[in-house]
Amino acid sequence: MSRPSLLVLGTALAALLLIGPAANAHHSFAMFDFDKVVTITGTVKEFQWTNPHVILWVDVPGKDPAKPDRWWLEMTSPGNLTRGGWNRKALNAGDQVEVELNPLRDGKLGGALIKVTNRTTGQVFSTNLRDMEKPGLK
Amino acid sequence: MTRLMVLMLGLTLCRGTRAAEPVQNPPPTPAQWAALAKLPDWSGVWTPFISDQFRRMTADPVPWKPEIAKQISALEAEEKAGRPKGLFVDCLPEGMPAWMLISHNAVEFLFTPGRVTMLGEMDGNRLRRIYTDGRPHPPDPDPTFHGHSIGRWDGQTLVVDTVAVLPQAYLAVSEAVGVPNNGDLHVVERIHLAEKDVLHDELEITAPRVLSKPWKTTRIWFRQRARKYDIVEGVCLQGFFAPRTDASGNAVFVPILHANGNPVPNAPEEPRQ
Repeated sequence: MSRPSLLVLGTALAALLLIGPAANAHHSFAMFDFDKVVTITGTVKEFQWTNPHVILWVDVPGKDPAKPDRWWLEMTSPGNLTRGGWNRKALNAGDQVEVELNPLRDGKLGGALIKVTNRTTGQVFSTNLRDMEKPGLK
Repeated sequence: MTRLMVLMLGLTLCRGTRAAEPVQNPPPTPAQWAALAKLPDWSGVWTPFISDQFRRMTADPVPWKPEIAKQISALEAEEKAGRPKGLFVDCLPEGMPAWMLISHNAVEFLFTPGRVTMLGEMDGNRLRRIYTDGRPHPPDPDPTFHGHSIGRWDGQTLVVDTVAVLPQAYLAVSEAVGVPNNGDLHVVERIHLAEKDVLHDELEITAPRVLSKPWKTTRIWFRQRARKYDIVEGVCLQGFFAPRTDASGNAVFVPILHANGNPVPNAPEEPRQ
């Protein structure tokens, strides 16, 4: 292996290591407080339709108009969401949304998404894997 | 005498060569393909009964060894306190038997002559090859996440025997509660239709390093035929990256910053390069 490619490999490995061992993969959802429901209204910053968990970032106006609060909302996988009627174009950057969520227990700006109303398109999306616990679903 | 010795040596060599002939997987015959039609119909997509997985955490208590039970209690307490330990956050396969026990994702079964193949939705690597061609386990197989599985049909039930699972593979009852099996794991499963569209996997798990006796439990899946339930690709590691455009205009994935098991809120703007 040539020196440049070793360097590239080294940099890639370092980048992966910096991310740390705890990516958002197959984790327990116990860090969310399922006894609390919070509703936020804001603008979609990004909708990341990737495995293992789809992520939605929403900017919510705060005290400083130049620095909105950025919330991240976590969902299940694209496959499971598709079964619940979602698709990768359900939400797009710039869409106005109202989100119901179970917040993080530690008070940080994040949560497990329960339901999102896309006010730009008028569509409503929600999903609950427990609703799929029977055969022959349509 | 010398000639006789040469002849004997020659015969021995011939026998040796014949004995070392590698085992062949013969091409399936039309009769073997036709015989598949007599097997039970497991087609479709199977979604897990997640509520039942959690119910069985208390209904089918795991006979942990006392020293392991302490670890499990600590993990349960952490999860209850909202600080779950992520057993699977590194995107390595859940492996056996954790995949069967705790998956929240769909699975499908493929029948071909001499084989049943299980394909899970999450992870390109989440699959089990169950050989039903009558072969034994290899004498000393390399340990893998899913182990080496051989199966046989007992009427309408597929009986699967799995060994050679990596000692690091978790025996888990949830995504936050479980321990590595630590070696010598043996799993016997009886997989069958309990109802027309309900599949049961009755597991008997022998894990002498962590269990005081074999543990029996059952996992349940529901059949879906609506096309929107079709299995899709799910690459776990993709969650480590965000799609971006590089300086040359190429579509690329860039690593995103994570902390405590989750992406940092401003990650879309500030990917860690």
